[in-house]
Amino acid sequence: MRVQFAARLVSFAAAVVVLACRPGQPQTIKIGHEVALTGPNATWGQSESRAVKMAVEKINAQGGVLGKKLEIVAYDNRADRLEAVNVAKRLVEQDKVIAIIGPGQSGVANAIRETNNSAKVPLIATTATNPKVTVNDDGSVVPYTFRTCFIDPFQGTVAAQFASKDLNAKTAAVLYDVGDEYSQFLGKYFIDAFQKSGGKILTSEAFRSGELDFRAQLGKIKDGNPDVLFIPTQQKEAALAAKQARDLGIKSTLMGGDGWGSPDLFDLAGPAIEGSYFVNIAALEDPAIKDFISDYRAQYKEDPVLPNPVLAYDAVLWLSDAIKRAGTTDGPKLKEALEQTKDLQVLTGKLTIDPASHNPLNKPAVIQQTKDKRFVYVKTFVTAD
Amino acid sequence: MGSGAPFRGAAPPSPPGARLLFQTLITGLSIGAVYALMAVGYSLVFSVLNFSNFAHGAIITLGAYVAWALMVHFFHIPFLPALLLSIFGAGILAFLNERIAYSTLRRRRAPSLYLMISAMGAAIALQNILYATVGAKLYALPPVFAQDVIRAGGATISRMDVFAFAFSVVAISLLHLLLAYTRVGMAIRAASHDMEMVAVLGVNLDVLVAVLFFIAGGFGGMAGVFMGVKYMVYPSMGWITNKAYIAAVIGGLGSLPGAIVGGMLLGVLEALVSVTVIGSVHLSTYRDVFSFGILAVLLIVRPTGLFGRHLEEKL
Repeated sequence: MRVQFAARLVSFAAAVVVLACRPGQPQTIKIGHEVALTGPNATWGQSESRAVKMAVEKINAQGGVLGKKLEIVAYDNRADRLEAVNVAKRLVEQDKVIAIIGPGQSGVANAIRETNNSAKVPLIATTATNPKVTVNDDGSVVPYTFRTCFIDPFQGTVAAQFASKDLNAKTAAVLYDVGDEYSQFLGKYFIDAFQKSGGKILTSEAFRSGELDFRAQLGKIKDGNPDVLFIPTQQKEAALAAKQARDLGIKSTLMGGDGWGSPDLFDLAGPAIEGSYFVNIAALEDPAIKDFISDYRAQYKEDPVLPNPVLAYDAVLWLSDAIKRAGTTDGPKLKEALEQTKDLQVLTGKLTIDPASHNPLNKPAVIQQTKDKRFVYVKTFVTAD
Repeated sequence: MGSGAPFRGAAPPSPPGARLLFQTLITGLSIGAVYALMAVGYSLVFSVLNFSNFAHGAIITLGAYVAWALMVHFFHIPFLPALLLSIFGAGILAFLNERIAYSTLRRRRAPSLYLMISAMGAAIALQNILYATVGAKLYALPPVFAQDVIRAGGATISRMDVFAFAFSVVAISLLHLLLAYTRVGMAIRAASHDMEMVAVLGVNLDVLVAVLFFIAGGFGGMAGVFMGVKYMVYPSMGWITNKAYIAAVIGGLGSLPGAIVGGMLLGVLEALVSVTVIGSVHLSTYRDVFSFGILAVLLIVRPTGLFGRHLEEKL
């Protein structure tokens, strides 16, 4: 009996000590991470999650920020808009994060805009390339939303200029997904830029998200025999369209945007995708990110699934720099510091932010070719205008 | 034809309009054949149990995953045996689905609405089991024919489509023979008229329903494998069965010829809609509006479809 009482006393005392030691303020700076760890985008999301961990570990090893360690609170949003709003609310209301990194999809980023902006919690999207993520319809900037990637008009322009200059394409056709903002806008920007550089768009055909058979639309595209067929979709639709286009006897050079950059593209499309080109945000062979790639390989024994990891890593570097400059994690001040970022050294070069659009300025794009079941780095492309 | 070279040099060149129409018809028929295969499974179950088995899409998906496991993941079995095993596997899964989700309700003579709700639950559960175990990754089944297409008259026909078409015709003919000339078939046909009476006459209903679901599942598995080879394999691929359901309703739920005609008709109509342009509007984006519009109009104007005979509510 007595022994038991003593034991209770000790444990009670221990509890008192633990409670007493609890700080009035949190010892860490909590950063939320909106990431697709399951679902069709999980390939990138899981790699992104590892990269964020690497960036945070590095900063913490150097003493953290403002004397505190960074702490990542990551939740899976499955790249689903509804789920993403739930995650954002949980991060803002329960976990009280000071900023959110992610998501990687434009539609998902747009869905959570209300949540983080009304709570005045800055959000740094990784690969959300649609202009509307950071700029409202009336041209005003979304106050608390930023991004580390380039935007679709730029990507569409790169693809169009590469097609007409490097591939000498005179005619092009577009097959896009009308149910997907990314696809719709990237297609539109490609068309605008291609016509501007003197090319002719023969036809622009649409399908609806979830469809698997584009042969009816491709049959029409085949009739015009375009030099380039631009397919601004994710790898799933790109693979199906490539297979069906080749089956129908379409000989055009196939091109796409960063949505193609998934390793399973080759399994899904087979030989049909060989010799195609697409615009990407980062490439494994890009000399600028050599050190990051080798660190990642050393730690995880595989290649990162680009581009998300690189852009998420940049987001952590950017955020910690902004916190240092702001001297606080207070939302409005942090937002200002993020806005005023200039020539900050990050993985993908020097980061300068346009305060009017919250987009990075002068971000180079990478052109990759699909060759022998690999993504081959062709060149780093900076647009002409 | 083995070289796959275009015939354009030999045959007189056809005008682009006619060629496009021909190509579109071929595309439509190849999609329609898959719709028809799926619709057969719906209609078989509906004809006897009088409810729409919405878990059929999940069985189709599982059939494709069985083929993937056999051909890619665990073994490297050739296509034909993998197809047959997948048909068998999907049949077994459909049978189990009935035992777990429907048999109790059926024995209690629950209204068909309850069976349908149970089917929806089973569909969601099966799809999520796939997400939780195999994951959401996309998979491709290996191509079956080295030379993928046959070219004729300026149009191309995929060899896989020709094979799938022929295989479906054989399978549906066998099903017809089974229903028309065997004792089991006679029992199924009798049950589709009056299940109670068939039971009174000494037919074991449990066995009859088991056979029914096995056949329906087998057809679903077949459709799943064909889809996996033509497109790809992923957990939500059963979504396409919505179209098969429309096809079954067009043909008349519960009618076997109706399911086939409905599937083909919907496939061709959809392909034609996809290439139609009115003014500057491409109708391809309105394809599903069109398909589901047909469903709505048909249910109002002719609820029995082209060949149906049930006049009860179609859930």
